[in-house]
Amino acid sequence: MAGRKVTNTFNRLSPFQRFYLIAVAALIVGPFAPLIIQSLAFRWAWPNLLPSVWWLEQREKSPIPLAWDYVLSPYSRIYEATINTMAIGLAVTVICLAICLPAARVLARERFRGKNSFEFFLSLPLIVPEAAIGIALLMIFINLGLAGSYVGIIIAHLIPTIPYMVRMLTAVYQGLGREFEEQAMILGANRWQILRMVTLPMLMPGVVAGALFTFLVSSNIFLLTFFLGQGKIITLPTLLFSKISGGTLDASAAGITLIVSLPGIILLVISERFIKEEAFGKGFGN
Amino acid sequence: MTQVQLNAVRKEFGSFVALEHIDLDIQSGELVALLGPSGCGKTTTLRMISGLDNPTNGEILFDGNDVSDVPVRDRNVGMVFQRYALFPHMSVEKNITFGLRVRDIPASEVSERLEEILDIVQLTAFRDRFPAQLSGGQMQRVAIARTLITKPSVLMMDEPLANLDTNLRGEMRRFIRELQQRFNITTIFVTHDQVEAMELSDRVAVLFDGRLEQFDTPDGIYHRPDKTSVAKFMGASNIIDGVVGDGGLKTAFADLSIGDGGAFGAGSQVKAMVRSEAIRLLKEPEAGAQNQLSGTIRTADFFGATVSYVVQVGDYELNVDEHSTEMLEPDTPVYLQLPSDRIWLFPDEKG
Repeated sequence: MAGRKVTNTFNRLSPFQRFYLIAVAALIVGPFAPLIIQSLAFRWAWPNLLPSVWWLEQREKSPIPLAWDYVLSPYSRIYEATINTMAIGLAVTVICLAICLPAARVLARERFRGKNSFEFFLSLPLIVPEAAIGIALLMIFINLGLAGSYVGIIIAHLIPTIPYMVRMLTAVYQGLGREFEEQAMILGANRWQILRMVTLPMLMPGVVAGALFTFLVSSNIFLLTFFLGQGKIITLPTLLFSKISGGTLDASAAGITLIVSLPGIILLVISERFIKEEAFGKGFGN
Repeated sequence: MTQVQLNAVRKEFGSFVALEHIDLDIQSGELVALLGPSGCGKTTTLRMISGLDNPTNGEILFDGNDVSDVPVRDRNVGMVFQRYALFPHMSVEKNITFGLRVRDIPASEVSERLEEILDIVQLTAFRDRFPAQLSGGQMQRVAIARTLITKPSVLMMDEPLANLDTNLRGEMRRFIRELQQRFNITTIFVTHDQVEAMELSDRVAVLFDGRLEQFDTPDGIYHRPDKTSVAKFMGASNIIDGVVGDGGLKTAFADLSIGDGGAFGAGSQVKAMVRSEAIRLLKEPEAGAQNQLSGTIRTADFFGATVSYVVQVGDYELNVDEHSTEMLEPDTPVYLQLPSDRIWLFPDEKG
């Protein structure tokens, strides 16, 4: 039903309008095409535009595509990397929220001396090169024994994620008047109940957006993870880098790349569905 | 049934003094309006009674017990905010039961009290709606129900009629009054609107600049203000300088006879207030009438039920409100009667 509607509308567009839409779509989807093709190729050598031998033609030699055979095998360490990425991302998101919610509340509601410069310095971690932060942290963490540990990586990931999260949550807090929490307090709610039943649900759109973003940023950080993981802890980005740093852009690299893109795509779909949810639109209709 | 007392309450925010000094004694079951222009400290007073703010000095007593140190959630007060502060992500039902759910009251009792209050505020049909789907009057009823279901000892409202249109105002006024009497609950509300204060309350506390100017019945505030500032705030337009003489008042335009001069001895400099609707306006002089003055109509403004005239008497202009059954043109010569029992005197404050 929805698909048909879209096609009909698409046909009504002028050739120019269609051209731009297709161009945009091609630029977004385009980079994925060679990856998908590569991961399904059996032999694909320069200068051929398409693989000279597809996996499908050689399927009696290998029951699944070569790339996926490797990616899904224990040698690729992809399971380990995925679990590390997810666990680190989750921990970073939760800790980031726990730090940024109270901080955003203060920034949104209170006035204090030096607030403007504080807000300016908030963006500093985004301006300073990641390598500088990474080396500085490594020097400290080696002394503290945190290098090559999960704690070290999680702390390192908090540095570039906190500025985004604080900003996002400050904006939603500014939209949430004090009177809702005051009303809850008068009605007899304790601080925990107010947070759980009033503040968090009302901040939910911002919290979800901030959390998804934080998770995405964390699961994409390469340099900090690389420095501080010291090869002991691998995540999807470091795994990918070690795979392609040798200069081989083969089928298994393509497979890993596709796996690495998956968390982002899944989160995008989740956030899209979540934000469109009916009750949400209703609740904030005024 | 709770008596609320404020003793020498003072509130400062940094160097800003929001409330100078307030003594207020609100009887159990009374409906009191805190009336004043914006920034006079009335909302601060309400917030301190609710416990959202604490007084810098002085004490707040509920039934004689100091509650200054009792936290908001244990104070058992109710507050209806001006914009209702309904939780947008909860249905009407969830909004109303919020105060019971956070207190761990058994579900059976919650639903029993919910049905009862939904019936009282006539919102049974709207129980599953979300606040954004309600009209202003319905939202206010939800806000009131949500507060009353917790059986507060004191009910507070911030500008309860301000966000409603004229037709709804009358309905809501009767509704609030009825509920207040039914639950016999001490109620304090804040308003900057004189009419709202008079139409709803048993007594009105007039606040200016963080000070309590007068605390009296609506009738008292309106007809017997303590000060010219209160009189002016309550819309008095005829405030006349005069000197109390022997059984009369000497003014710039006439010698008026007054009731008994009250507490003012002969020779005291006073201000006199005559309400514009208390002045009689006649086309022909009446023989032997007291305080009859002749004048000329300067302007006539038509307000539907009433006409408001400015009448020049000597060098002085008096405002007179009359029923609009007969409309007089400007420049018509007229006679005014100022009934001696309608002339209210107060001391002449300088400045």
